[in-house]
This record gives sequence, C-alpha cells and structure tokens, in this order.
Amino acid sequence: MTTRGRADQYQCSVTRPPDVDQFWEQVQAELDGIPLDPEMTPVPMRSTDEVEVFEIHYTSLDNVRIAGWYCRPRESYIAGPYPGLSIVPGYVSEPTLPKSWAKMGYAAIGVAPRGKLRSNSQFNPGYPGLLINRIIDRNTYSYRGFYADALRAIDFLVGLDEVDSSRVGVHGSSQGGALTIVSAALRPDIVTCGAAGAPYLTVFMDSAELTHSYPYEEMNEYFRLYPERKEQARRELAYFDCLNLAAWVKAPMLIYAGLCDDVCPPETAFALKEALPGEVTFHAYERCGHDAGNYWEMRNVEAFLAKHLQPANADLHAQMTVG
Amino acid sequence: MMSEGQPTIFEENEPAATGSLVSDAPVAAAGRPEHLDAFWDAIDDELAALPANPEFTVAPLQTNEHATVYTVRMTSLDRYPIAAWFSVPKGEGPFPALVTAPAYASVVVPAHYDQRRRFVTMTMMTRGQRGADRPYAAAYPGHLTNGIGSPDTYVFRGVMADMLRAFEVLRDHPAVDRERIGVVGTDAGLLLAARRPGIRAVQVASTFWYRLAEMAAGTEAYPCEEINDYLRAHPDDRDAVGRTLAFLDPQYQAGRVTASVQISRDQERGTANDAWLAGLVGSLKGDVAYYDVTHEGQTDHDALDAWISAQLGVEPAPRSWQAEEIGPWR
Repeated sequence: MTTRGRADQYQCSVTRPPDVDQFWEQVQAELDGIPLDPEMTPVPMRSTDEVEVFEIHYTSLDNVRIAGWYCRPRESYIAGPYPGLSIVPGYVSEPTLPKSWAKMGYAAIGVAPRGKLRSNSQFNPGYPGLLINRIIDRNTYSYRGFYADALRAIDFLVGLDEVDSSRVGVHGSSQGGALTIVSAALRPDIVTCGAAGAPYLTVFMDSAELTHSYPYEEMNEYFRLYPERKEQARRELAYFDCLNLAAWVKAPMLIYAGLCDDVCPPETAFALKEALPGEVTFHAYERCGHDAGNYWEMRNVEAFLAKHLQPANADLHAQMTVG
Repeated sequence: MMSEGQPTIFEENEPAATGSLVSDAPVAAAGRPEHLDAFWDAIDDELAALPANPEFTVAPLQTNEHATVYTVRMTSLDRYPIAAWFSVPKGEGPFPALVTAPAYASVVVPAHYDQRRRFVTMTMMTRGQRGADRPYAAAYPGHLTNGIGSPDTYVFRGVMADMLRAFEVLRDHPAVDRERIGVVGTDAGLLLAARRPGIRAVQVASTFWYRLAEMAAGTEAYPCEEINDYLRAHPDDRDAVGRTLAFLDPQYQAGRVTASVQISRDQERGTANDAWLAGLVGSLKGDVAYYDVTHEGQTDHDALDAWISAQLGVEPAPRSWQAEEIGPWR
C-alpha cells in the first residue's frame, strides 16, 4: 500500500482573487434581471398518499431553462408550512426524486442544473466535458451558470407559500457537496444549514494533481493536451473554488469525507473545514473512498438537518445520498 | 421491439396514484418463463443477421502515455446506433480485456485510468444512454418501465441486445486476448456470460436484475421505485410486469454461465444475504466466490479489483493509501 501525508496538514495552493466578491455580485446582478418564471406540473404517477410530486422549471443565468423535481407532503399527511430542502446532484448522476425527504416532512427540490437531462437543450457540454468546458474564462465557464442554477433552486423554494423560509437546508455529496457550499455561501441569509459529503470543486488544481479519477482526471487530460493553458485555468478556477467562497457561509455546516477518497481528495475537505468561518461538524472515515462513509454518515446527515430544520417526521429515513 | 420515436417521458397525465405498493400485494416471483430460450435466441438471430460495422475513432483528449482511447460507434438490434468507450494499452498485445456491464445511469464515462493501463477496456453506451440517445433519449426515471408490459416491447430487450453487440465488437478486436476477458459491474454481466460463452470471470458488485420485481416491492428507493410508480398507475399489469422481468432475471440463465463468478454479499441486507442469493448462486456452473462487503468504499474497491485482476492475470491496482492516524472522527 502506498503512503500519503496527513490530509489535515496539506498546504493547498489556492489563492483568493481580490475581486471574487465583485465577480459574484455581477452574477447576482445578472440573475436579478432575469425573472424566475417558475412552473410546477403535477406528476400523479409518481405521487403517493403521502407525497405529491411535481416536475418544475425555472429560468436561470443566460435565460437557460432549468428543470427539477419538487416533492412535498400532502396536506392530509402533514400540514404545512414545511422546511425547505434543496437536494443537489453529483457530477454524473441524474437528480432523483426527493420523495423520501418529503415523506419526512420537507418540501424538497431535486435540481437538474444545466447539462443534466431535461436541462440540456440550451447547454450540453457532455460527460466527460462539463468540468473543462471553457475552463480558461470565468465569464463563460460552465460552472458560472451551473452554480447560478443551484442558487435559483433556493429562490424557487422560498417563493413557495408552503415553505417556511426561515428553515431552508441544502444537502448533497461530491458535486452535490460543492453545490451545498455554494448555496450556503451565495444565499447566506436564506440557507439555515448544509450537509456536504465529499465536497468537489474545492482546490481544483491540487485535486487534479492528487488523483487520476474522474471528474478531476478531465483536467489532467486537458492539460496534457494543452499545457500552455494551465496557469490561465488556475487563475479562472479560483473564482469558482469552494475554498474561496467558504468565507461567506453563515450557516452551520456538516462536512464528511473518506480518508482514502480517490475522487475528491480528503486534503481538500480538511482545507474546506478550516476555511468555513462558522459552526462546522466534520466527520472523516478511514478506508472509505468517495462513498465518504455514507453507510454510517447518512443517519448523521438526517439528524443534523432535522436538528436545524425541524421536519415533522424526523424518525423516518431518507434514500441514501450518492454523489 | 422498440420502435423509433418513443416518447422520452411517457408517464405524464397518468391517473392519480393511490396506495403504496409496499403495503400492497408484492409482485410474485414469476418463475422461469416458458419461452425464455426462444426470447434470447431471437435476439441472437436478429443480431447475427445485422453487421455491427464498428467505427473506431481515436479520442485524443483521453488518450495518454499508457493507453489509446477510442469512441466506437456500431449498429445494434433494430438498426439502432449505439456506442462505447474503448481503450487499448500501449505496447505489445494481446491484452486481457475488462468489460463494464451497463448500469442504470444516463452517463457513461471511459474506464478508470488504472484499468486502461492494464486491460483493453470497454464501457458501453446502450440505447437511451448519453452517446446513444438518438432517436431514443431515456428518461430517468422512466427508462426502467418503458414498455414493461411485455418482454417484446420492453426497452431492455434492446438494451441487452446492445450489451451483446458491444461485447462482440470487443471480443473480435485483435488487441484482445480472448482467453482473458472479464466482466464487472451489475448482474447484467451474468446475462452476458450466459449468452456469450468464453468469458473467464464475472464480478457482480451488486445485483439489479435478479429478483428485481420482488426487490422493488420491498423498497421506496429509486430506481426500484419506478416499478412501484408504474404499478400504482397500472395495477392490472402486476403479473405482466413480473413476467417481463423474469425474462431478464439471471437466475434463469445461470446454468449457462461457466465463468468464475464473484458475488458481493451483505448478510445484514435482506436483498444481498445468503438466503436471497441462493436461487442465483446455486445454479451457476463455474466457481463461485463471495465478497462480503465492508461498506468502506476503498476497502471494497481494492478487494474487488484484486479478485478480477487475479482472474485475468494482471497486477492489482489498489487505490487505498496509508495515512498517519488522525482520528477518531466518527
């Protein structure tokens, strides 16, 4: 077995651009000029006695139409208002219907940011491909819009009458872990708490050097072919690095990671933990990889979210979160 | 058989669902279908009559110092265009080959860097998945129940044919050592081994098609929940769904599998313990080994990699590493 230095002592190379605040203020200003135009279409086939399911759409940056699933308890099962919960997806997985969370009492949204199925008619970089799509330009980089799509899911939630906007959480693993951080950082006055597994999009350049697993391997492949673009990409990616957004997070956060994660190196989870200014609960699992110990951690996630969001049926369990 | 132009999302405006399948009568095990052999023989006959005409195109971005990566386009059942990621190690072949059985997911990426170094690899894009989504783009959820009322209309008749077709292209590639072909992934690999003899080893990291109708009846988790959703809307199809899924259940083809098989087992899970797996394991004709999952992702990965590597005669490539003690964190 190979050896590796202590993950908690890793010195990452990320620097914070002095104008990162202005960059995201500009993105927000653009979003402010685009009506959300929310739509909800009932999906009776996937609804149950306890949970109503809707297919949703809304408009995001560049006027891209974004899809998602929205699940809420039936009034006859649990009376509102409900805590809101945004379940954010991993890199290759399609968003699943958050029915199990709705059964617990959450008004839950499963968002499909641009490029995911049903949100890919206007933007479709393919997989592999999303991570490196316009990686050398922060103004057209894929994650500029992708992050905005996750933020607009929060806006969608708090615009619903049945959602208690003082109780809004975010949860996901891998890319979902990153989008949890992004949501909490860029909607700091709305997001009440966040649970992020194996956070991706954190310390991008070091991560790629620490692994040969996808998605970061996309960067290794790209820089192998175009080495002259590496430093420019490093500068641009800094605007999207969760490490550089973490300072804006106000909500309590749960972070969990596998200490042998070959996909999102655990060194980056430790760096993120240190960068978060508020209350952080951190769990790391020996011998676990990108699963981030979810076999054990899922119950902690449920309890953490329940503590802060107070759903009606906190004793029920959610479908296992995958990245 | 699947026809062109099927809707991508076909379940809209279905009648309102009532009740929960979990509390309703479960789908009964349908037993071995009477026409099982005829069903699969027809697939083989139709494939045999239709040339694959594979078209290999180098993928410069994914190609590296260890392996050349290609995308392959080929023709499958119903003249459907499918695709695959395919890689060949640099150096003198032939090489052992590693096929990843199709998973229930939209996105298919090339095999891992560590696999590409050691094996000819194939990860296949079957109909509906990205890369093979013209004319049919699968919906998730929705794909799993598309045409499920009959084995002849079920979309996975075509998907399984796509798996067989892609495998044939790999098997016939000159870089492949035909004596050392392994399959990893779900239990679709057992169906592949049953229909295409000569595969040396099959690793089933998780079952999917084995007793799927029964498994769905005991869970509300997707993708199994797709079946429950379907049955809530189509309660009269309960028996038909059970019959259709039986055509794809590997237990009824296990007697044709002569490859060495490793199956992951979890005694704490009712759908992965000895009692659950008995109907499958008892019929396999080759060596059978169990792997008892630990749920420590990297421990499990390394153990599974060690087994398939040994079966195919290559060095393992563990991904775990030893770090200094920094816990306890749980």
